[in-house]
Amino acid sequence: MNVQKKGKKIVISVLGTDRPGIVALVARHLFENGCNIEDVNQTRLQTELAAIFIVSIPDGLEAHGLRSLLQDALDPLGLHVLVKEMVTDERYVHNVEGEPFVVTTIGPDRLGLVAGITEVMADFGVNITNLRAVFRGGTDPARNIMIYEVDIPKDIDQERFRKALKDRAEALGIDLNLQHRKIFEEINRI
Amino acid sequence: MLTEREIVSTLEMLKNEHLDVRTVTLGISLLDCASHDLDTFRSRVKEKITGVAKDLVRVCDEVGDKYGIPVINKRIAVSPVAVAAAPFSSEQMVSVALTLDEAAREVNVDFVGGFSALVEKGFANGDISLIEAIPEALAVTDRVCASVNVASTRAGINMDAVYLMGKIIKAAAEKTADKDGLACAKLCVFANIPEDIPFMAGAYLGIGEPDVVINVGVSGPGVVKKAIDRARNANPSLTLGDLSEIIKKTAFKVTRVGELIGREVADRLNVAFGVADLSLAPTPNVGDSVGEIFQSLGLASIGSPGSTAVLAMLNDAVKKGGAFASSYVGGLSGAFIPVSEDLNIAQAARDGFLSLEKLEAMTSVCSVGLDMVALPGDTPVETIAAIIADEMAIGVINKKTTAARLIPVPGKKAGEKACFGGLLGESTILPVMDKGSSEDFIRIGGRIPAPTQSLVN
Repeated sequence: MNVQKKGKKIVISVLGTDRPGIVALVARHLFENGCNIEDVNQTRLQTELAAIFIVSIPDGLEAHGLRSLLQDALDPLGLHVLVKEMVTDERYVHNVEGEPFVVTTIGPDRLGLVAGITEVMADFGVNITNLRAVFRGGTDPARNIMIYEVDIPKDIDQERFRKALKDRAEALGIDLNLQHRKIFEEINRI
Repeated sequence: MLTEREIVSTLEMLKNEHLDVRTVTLGISLLDCASHDLDTFRSRVKEKITGVAKDLVRVCDEVGDKYGIPVINKRIAVSPVAVAAAPFSSEQMVSVALTLDEAAREVNVDFVGGFSALVEKGFANGDISLIEAIPEALAVTDRVCASVNVASTRAGINMDAVYLMGKIIKAAAEKTADKDGLACAKLCVFANIPEDIPFMAGAYLGIGEPDVVINVGVSGPGVVKKAIDRARNANPSLTLGDLSEIIKKTAFKVTRVGELIGREVADRLNVAFGVADLSLAPTPNVGDSVGEIFQSLGLASIGSPGSTAVLAMLNDAVKKGGAFASSYVGGLSGAFIPVSEDLNIAQAARDGFLSLEKLEAMTSVCSVGLDMVALPGDTPVETIAAIIADEMAIGVINKKTTAARLIPVPGKKAGEKACFGGLLGESTILPVMDKGSSEDFIRIGGRIPAPTQSLVN
C-alpha cells in the first residue's frame, strides 16, 4: 500500500502498565483505518509504559473517532489513550540556534530536585530534549543520577547559565556537570 | 539520543578515574626573532610569545569547561634556543632564559620548553653556549625547561655531549641544592627526540614544525587501571589478549578526548593542530598511577619480574588504541614511568622492588626512559654520564626515543627521600652500583657510530 504523507496529523499517546503486544495492537488498528505512523517513541519507567505516535490520517477520519476506536481496543488491557490534532504553535517553534549539552546531577534523592534544576533551565530559555533518571539511589546516593539532554541557545550568557545551574545544584546538595554532547559521542562512537 | 551507558561511563572516567587532558602545549617558532643583538632578540621573543599565547590559558579553560574535561597544564614549546639564539654567549643565554620565564609568567602558562640543543653529531657555537648556561638558567627561572638531544639512530651517540651533560646535571643539582636538586627535574637528555612533544621537560618546537601549532598530551592511567579491574572482577578468566583489547579500547577513548579538546583550542586560537601524544602520564595521586596498572595485571609491584613484559604489552596496546583514535599521533606516545611523579612507582622504589637496573631494562619497551630518578648526591659525573650513555644506547639501537631525567640529590644518600613538590612528587633515592667504575670509558670521548640498519638482532 502506498503511503500518503499529506493530510491531517494527529498525536496519539498511550499510557498504562507494560506488557507484550501493546504497540502491535495500536499499530494494527491504525493500519486497518488507513493511518500512517510517521513518528513513534516509547519508554518504560519501572512497570509503566508511555508511547507517543504521530500519525497522518486519511480524509474522512476524525481524531475523536479514532480515539473511541482505540480506547475500545485498549480498555481491556487497562490502557489509557489520548488523541489530539497536531497543531504547530509558532510561539514555541524552537528556531533559536542552540548547541546540544548534557546536564547530569549526582546525589541523594530529595523533593524538588527536578523542579529546582529545570526552573533554572526554563529561566534561561534552555529546552530539554530528553530527561532520564538512571539509577534509583538505594543506599548509595552517588548512584542517583539524573540526565538532562538540553539545547542551550547560543545567544544566552553561557557563563551566567553555568553558574546559575551550579549554584542551584549546590543549594540542592547535589553534584552537577554540564558538558557539550560531543564529548560523549567522541569517546563512545566511531 | 545518547545512551545511559555512554553518559555514565564517561562521567565515571572523569569523576573517579582522573581522566584529564594533561597538557595543551602551544608551539611557537622563535626563528624569525633571530638577531645578533641580544636586546633586540629578547624583545622580539617576549613580543611574539605574549602576542601568540595571550589567549591560550583562557581558551583552554573555556574549552575544558565546555566539555567538562580539565586541561591541567597549559604550556609553551619554542624553537631550540641554541639555534634561535646561536650568536650569544653562555651568560647571554641565561638572560634569554629569563625572558622566556617572564613571557611564560605574563601569559600564565605552567612551563616553557625549548631551552634546548640538538648535538647528536656535534656542537655548534650556540649549542655549547646553551648547554653551559643550563645550570644557571634553570636555577634562576621557575618555568623554563631544557632538553639536549645527544644521540640518534642515524648519527650514533655523541659521547662528548654525554659526558658534558653528566657535568651539567651535577652542576644544576648543586645550584638548587636547597631544593633537592630541583633544576634537574626540568632537564632531559634525549636520544631520537621527537619534534612535537607536548610534555615537559622535553617539549620544544622542531625545525620542521609550523610557525605556531597546538600539540596535546592526554593522560588516563587511572582510566586504564579501572577498566582492567572492572573486566577482571567481572570475568577472572580473561587472558592477556583480552586485557590488551580492553587497554586498547580505553586508550582509544582517552585519545579521542585529547584530540577533541586540542583541535577546538587550535580552532579558537586560529592556529594549526599538530598531534595528540598518547602517553599515559601519571600524577602523584592515588588512582592516577601507571604503577598501579602493573598490580591490576597481577604483579606484586612494578619492578617485580614480569614488569618489562607487562610494560611492553601496555605500551603496545596504548599505541594501537591511540593510533585508531587519531590520524595525528606524535610526541612520545607510550607509558611514562617517572619514579617520583607516580605514587605507586615511588613506593616500589622505597620498598626495594625497583632498582635502577630494572628501570633501565623497562625503558627498552616504553617511552620515555629513566625519568625523575633520584640518585645519591655523591654520584660521580662520569657515572651519571655512563647511566645516560646506557639509556641513549637503548634508544639508538631500538630506533626509539629514550631520555634520562636524573637528579643527583645534593647531600643525600641512597634510601633517603627527595622532595620536589607538586606534580614532580617525591621519591626514595635509588642506589647506584659500582660508583666510579665507568670513568675511563666515559673519558675516551668521541662518537659511538650509528648502528647498522640491516643486521637487526
